Amino acid sequence: MAEIPFTLSVPDTELELLRTKLELTQLPDELEDAKWDYGVPLGDTRRLLARWKDGFDWRAAEAKINAIPQFTRDIEVDGFGTLNIHYIHQKSQVKNAIPLFFSHGWPGHFMEVSKLLPLLTAESADHPSFHVVAFSLPGYGFSEAPKKRGFGLRQYAEVGHKLMVALGYDEYIAQGGDWGFGIVRTMASLYGERHVKAWHTNFPFMYKPSLSAHPLIWLRDLVTPYTAEERQHSERAAWFVKKSYGYWAEHATMPQTVGYSLADSPVGLLAWIYEKLVIWSDDYPWTDDEVLTWISIYWFSRAGPAASLRIYYEFGTEEGQADWAKLKSPTIPFGLSYFAKELPFVRLFWTRVLGNLVFQSTHDSGGHFVAHEKPELLVGDIRKMFGSGGPAFGVIPGRDGYAGK
Amino acid sequence: MAEKPFTLAVPDADLELLRKKLELTRLPDELEGSKWDYGVPLEDIKRLVAKWKDGFDWRAAEAKINAIPQFTRDIEVEGHGTLNVHYVHQKSELQNAIPLLFVHGWPGHFMEVAKLLPLLTAVAPDQPSFHVVAFSLPGFGFSEAPKEKGFAISQYAEVGHKLMLALGYNEYVTQGGDWGFLITRVIAQKYGGKHAKAWHTNFPVTGPPSLTYSPGLFLRFLVTPFSAEEKKGIERTMWFRSKGRGYFEEQSTNPQTLGYSLADSPAGLLAWIHEKLVTWTDGYPWTDDESEYFCVVKGDMSSKPVLTPSPLIVEVLTWISIYWFSRPGPAASVRIYYEASTAKDWDKTQYVPIPFGISLFPKELARVPKLWTRAIGKLVFASEHESGGHFAAHEKPAELADDLKKMFGVGGPAFGIVTGKSGYTAA
Repeated sequence: MAEIPFTLSVPDTELELLRTKLELTQLPDELEDAKWDYGVPLGDTRRLLARWKDGFDWRAAEAKINAIPQFTRDIEVDGFGTLNIHYIHQKSQVKNAIPLFFSHGWPGHFMEVSKLLPLLTAESADHPSFHVVAFSLPGYGFSEAPKKRGFGLRQYAEVGHKLMVALGYDEYIAQGGDWGFGIVRTMASLYGERHVKAWHTNFPFMYKPSLSAHPLIWLRDLVTPYTAEERQHSERAAWFVKKSYGYWAEHATMPQTVGYSLADSPVGLLAWIYEKLVIWSDDYPWTDDEVLTWISIYWFSRAGPAASLRIYYEFGTEEGQADWAKLKSPTIPFGLSYFAKELPFVRLFWTRVLGNLVFQSTHDSGGHFVAHEKPELLVGDIRKMFGSGGPAFGVIPGRDGYAGK
Repeated sequence: MAEKPFTLAVPDADLELLRKKLELTRLPDELEGSKWDYGVPLEDIKRLVAKWKDGFDWRAAEAKINAIPQFTRDIEVEGHGTLNVHYVHQKSELQNAIPLLFVHGWPGHFMEVAKLLPLLTAVAPDQPSFHVVAFSLPGFGFSEAPKEKGFAISQYAEVGHKLMLALGYNEYVTQGGDWGFLITRVIAQKYGGKHAKAWHTNFPVTGPPSLTYSPGLFLRFLVTPFSAEEKKGIERTMWFRSKGRGYFEEQSTNPQTLGYSLADSPAGLLAWIHEKLVTWTDGYPWTDDESEYFCVVKGDMSSKPVLTPSPLIVEVLTWISIYWFSRPGPAASVRIYYEASTAKDWDKTQYVPIPFGISLFPKELARVPKLWTRAIGKLVFASEHESGGHFAAHEKPAELADDLKKMFGVGGPAFGIVTGKSGYTAA
């Protein structure tokens, strides 16, 4: 099937509706000296709102997005019919480049891959090159949303996998963070060995290994004192549970209820997502236009912002939880990059439980949106893992990522 | 400090802005067959938004609200300066009526007392009569909101107490549900004996922390000797704990982030609150039936009939409108969750020695074993009902009023608790 090019072109009427809504925005008050304690500060919201209304040029942002090669294609999903999937597909000049599937999460989107593209597709004798495919998750960006209940990680994985195969990448590797971690791990488990040859994540979401399942790791955990870095990570994770978990609880129980707000109020959507962009990243110096582009992708998304929340609900159901718990641990090579301000807490000797760990690295900077915050660090790790001398070098026969010998 | 009569009169400009925003409402899609599982169904919101935009008569609702005597007065709160507090004050014709302070919660408001007023202030030889005071919590309804951080349960209690004193009620009793339970509990703890003489609640929950640690185990252990009704109560508690607390988690950690949505989107605010009105009540018929529309034919039969919303839709839209048009805006109301979660100045476990009464309704959000309620305070009255939920004053006013009359009436465990104000004509 030939690729159908996609050009983002938000209708004028939608821009007009957004503008009208922004002009009618009614803001709340704020407690004195609230800072970030109660949520997004009013000063930030006012400033972003003013810029969004007057100064932010969506057409310019759209043009930048369109500089990246995007396409759509229909993918059949078992039990869910056909979904029209939007994706980026940037090929390398290197014919034998390694096909890499990138999956974003929430509140991420397909453009999170954009800073990685020139780095991953670059040709060099010193590092491998990749063909990159990054889809909009169904229900996000410009992919269609599922219409029925029960669309869980298994289904997102099915879409990702079928997309790669449809593009002629019968064998490929996968990289993801946030929900992208869950998706690529599921892909690695379900399609590993035959199709997925290795996987990598920057989001090691796991619980402490249990005594019954992993006694040696459990014992080691008991007797090994925490390092300073581990303490910091652990505090970050505790902070998340204490202070930053509310959105998850609502998404996982009543996504439709909060969805009405996010679909109807630009400033409501802005606050809901911007809060995460700031507190989950590692002091990333967001520019207002960067933020507004990010939020606008959600605002103008094909399925609307409410659809993006349902992944939490489906994961939280009994079926969703059982599916995840009983997913066979992938056997293919697995790599982890652990950044300083990422949200989950793991000790480096736990992570082999997630998969066949062949590569692990830590960094003293970078947060949750690391592909956007520290693209060179993330790509550096991927190059180390797959490059000549690396633990996953040549994992795809005939596609080692280097120009012909 | 003078009392000023209050008449609700929302400016035309506010009505106009609401109408404009409703017209621009952008709705999400919905999954097939989601019903109430994912939150408020799309069909409900579509219907309510349509009626709010076109047909709901706010001025008529406002007039009904204004039929109830309301006032404002300044109340000084330690560390927070002066707040202008809005309240309902309906006196009984009987001078010796029992002064009662009614305290609402979230997403409640002062009008939750409305149905109780005629029942509690009625004068009859066989039942006690009450003077009723119901304030808008600071940050809710038409009370000013606090401007500084840290306005928590003790501060709300201080406002309620000082209001009663300012009205000349040196001794009084209280009734509260939801946050009103915690607020009246602190009133009883701090001002009990000397001023607060007895207290009653329909929400006798000892507070989230108690249920947080091994709730399943603990409750299951206690549930064994209990009845089928009580088991249903545990089910309900577990439902709330696992499915119903998303709003709580967000409101107690990032109320401002959520607040932007609630302040800016009428449909968003509607969904956020309507979800509770439906899922927290016991089948209260908020949703309308098309057949309950009534049709007014204007002029001759050739004109188009004018449909007006059913009274039940009017109820919901009035409720939400009170939040939308509230003096400090809806975002202020959710801060109570943050402040209560972070405040360290009140003891959730302190036993309260003044007479305490409870009314249990089966669809309340949490059902704690009666044994636990005895740990809250000096339990002298307990009643259980076959139906009713979280908004008991609105859903079951007759039952709730009856319980208060039993508790405070002749032969009741708190009869004559307020000096010289038994609620009956002096013998």
